[in-house]
Amino acid sequence: MTAGKDLLVALAGQPNVGKSTVFNLLTGLSQHVGNWPGKTVEKKEGFCSTNGTRIKIVDLPGSYSLTAYSEEERIARDFIINERPDAVVLMANASALERSLYLLAEFLLLKAPVIFALNMTDVAEQQGIRIDVGLLEKYLGVPVIPMIASKNRGTKALISEILLLTEGKKENRPSLAEVSDDHKEIFLELADILEQYITPPYLTKWTITKIMEGDPDITEKMSRTVRPDSWNKVQALLRKHEDSLLAVVKGRYDWIEGAVRASLSEFKRGQILLTDRLDHVLTRPVFGIPILLGVLALVFSLTYGLGLPLQQLLESLMNSLAGWVEPFLGKSFWLRGIIVDGLLGGAGTVMTFLPVLFFFFAAMAFLEDVGYMARAAFVMDRFMHVIGLHGKSFLPFCLGFGCNVPAVMGARILESGRIRFLTIFLTPFVPCTAKLAVVTLIAAAIFGKTALIMSWALVAGNILILGFAGFIASKFLFKKQHMPFIMELPFYHKPNPRTIGMVVWKRITAFIRKAGTIIVIFSVLLWLLSHIPGGHIEGSILGLVGQSIEPIGGPIGLDWKMIVALLASVTAKENSIAALGVLYGVGEEGIRGILPTVMSHASALSFLVILMLFVPCVATLVVMKQEMGGWRWFLSSFLFMLVLSYVSGMAVYQFALMVGL
Amino acid sequence: MGGDLMPLILLKEGQEGIVHMVSGGLGLIGRLASLGITSGMRVKVVRNIGGPLIITTNGTRIAIGRGQAQKILIRRLAAGMVQAEIA
Repeated sequence: MTAGKDLLVALAGQPNVGKSTVFNLLTGLSQHVGNWPGKTVEKKEGFCSTNGTRIKIVDLPGSYSLTAYSEEERIARDFIINERPDAVVLMANASALERSLYLLAEFLLLKAPVIFALNMTDVAEQQGIRIDVGLLEKYLGVPVIPMIASKNRGTKALISEILLLTEGKKENRPSLAEVSDDHKEIFLELADILEQYITPPYLTKWTITKIMEGDPDITEKMSRTVRPDSWNKVQALLRKHEDSLLAVVKGRYDWIEGAVRASLSEFKRGQILLTDRLDHVLTRPVFGIPILLGVLALVFSLTYGLGLPLQQLLESLMNSLAGWVEPFLGKSFWLRGIIVDGLLGGAGTVMTFLPVLFFFFAAMAFLEDVGYMARAAFVMDRFMHVIGLHGKSFLPFCLGFGCNVPAVMGARILESGRIRFLTIFLTPFVPCTAKLAVVTLIAAAIFGKTALIMSWALVAGNILILGFAGFIASKFLFKKQHMPFIMELPFYHKPNPRTIGMVVWKRITAFIRKAGTIIVIFSVLLWLLSHIPGGHIEGSILGLVGQSIEPIGGPIGLDWKMIVALLASVTAKENSIAALGVLYGVGEEGIRGILPTVMSHASALSFLVILMLFVPCVATLVVMKQEMGGWRWFLSSFLFMLVLSYVSGMAVYQFALMVGL
Repeated sequence: MGGDLMPLILLKEGQEGIVHMVSGGLGLIGRLASLGITSGMRVKVVRNIGGPLIITTNGTRIAIGRGQAQKILIRRLAAGMVQAEIA
């Protein structure tokens, strides 16, 4: 072995096979998370060094097969075709061997040097399934490594197998799935016509199979290179044998059946599985929905019970920090303002919400990891249909209650582009922790005893409007289309702290990165805009803008200062409080005292309603634009929010005046 | 052979069947096939009370929308003939 040699290994597998656990075990903290070039699909890479060999591990997106119907699957197969990794570790779930073998059949067809990592052998045993690794290996013709990733068993064997395979010390002579017998002839006829046109990196057998499957990418590619008369012959053959896709699928399942018959034995399967018992209750709407509400209530009370005291502690620390740095900044009004009010007061306040987010995301990651969130998605599916979505959008929405930024990114779990757009479109209507903080504070200052009821009413109203917005958007903006809902419900299992930790880490850093860059810039910019040129807000650019658009504030009961505070909320929702403090000249501390004297009940309601429905913070806007991938949807969503918030604010204000609030 | 041909959606909870065919686009057929729902495979309905269905196949649980369940044609297995059909 030459020292310092680099190997490229791809980690592939279907969802729910413990792929990310293995990736974390192999790469530890050396991992880098980015995007696949030009795609909104996450790309994870990391390194694993052993005996002077550096193994670069690329985590391919989880996929059930390698068709061209989803971006994830296309990325995975293009990587194998174009990058030709030294080895492909295909993770499999031992308790659902058939399914994993289906993906293996596709990888083998690509002539990928596969190692079949048979994970969750313990779960399989519990379910009465035993797999003879030796016999499976013999049947498949590729190395099979049994693993229990959740207990860190099998990773060493996996690494040494990678080395053996890449050094050529292990034979790799896979048996391949063939198309079913009745279609072999058509396969050969197609091969006859097309063979001469297939050039590397594409393989003949794979290409023909894909043509038979009706794969849109390959069909398109071939139609451009094949001579028209030959292509017509291909088309005629395919038309005559419409069931070619089924022949390919059947061939795969025959091959799978052989593998299963050779290696798998089932013993007393009578035991009622934990999953069966839990699902019996949790997926029944009568029980499932109340339980879901209870679980969410618990998550929220836990989050705020533990997080808020810490948030307040951080806030006072931030204030002392401001007091501590102030003397060092000299007499410069501008420097002091930018650092203390802009940076610490703006971006700093946002950072104090970290503990709240941490507890929230930890609770959510826990629920995801044990398998509960898939059930929550299942019972919520019927409600989500009303707003043109399906159950899978429920998870991103839930994350939105913490922070909209990871929620928008969380919409990636949705495979259909349209449903992903609609989910992102609606996410800003989910009240995040920052909005809730503003609502709580202002409601407490204005409504006194009824503050709690008012806050709840506002949140409930917000969620109703989310439903309404979804209903409208799915009817008019995103034409109702057929949206297949197919989702695996993974088995319940013990939480894995490592996986949960990684998920929380990923979401928290997404938030910090935004807060540390965009919010910092905008906080400083906002401070400057509200002080240039005169050093006072009245004569500043922001003040002038606010005053010039004051007339539009009439119907919604807002004076120009409140309008400016709303504009400021675009930096970060929490900043609207600081802005009000500055505008009314009382600072953040005096805000509770001054608010009741300057804001009527009706105006306060209108202000809060608009704040909740208004354009989200810049951090959210940036990820929305990025995930929507273009201006069109982004701008329509922007306009939609402006109009909806204005109309709702006006309705609430006029209603409140009418009933004499 | 025996057993009635019907869409999956008509199966009651606890009933099993053998997939006869899946109609629909190549995308849907391919997707379902990769999850083990294709001609000749045995599926069992675990939950079917309005809203999406839950079915099990090959040790995998899958939630599937009613629209998709309508497109899966199955041959229902009577309780007694389950073993015979598999063999």
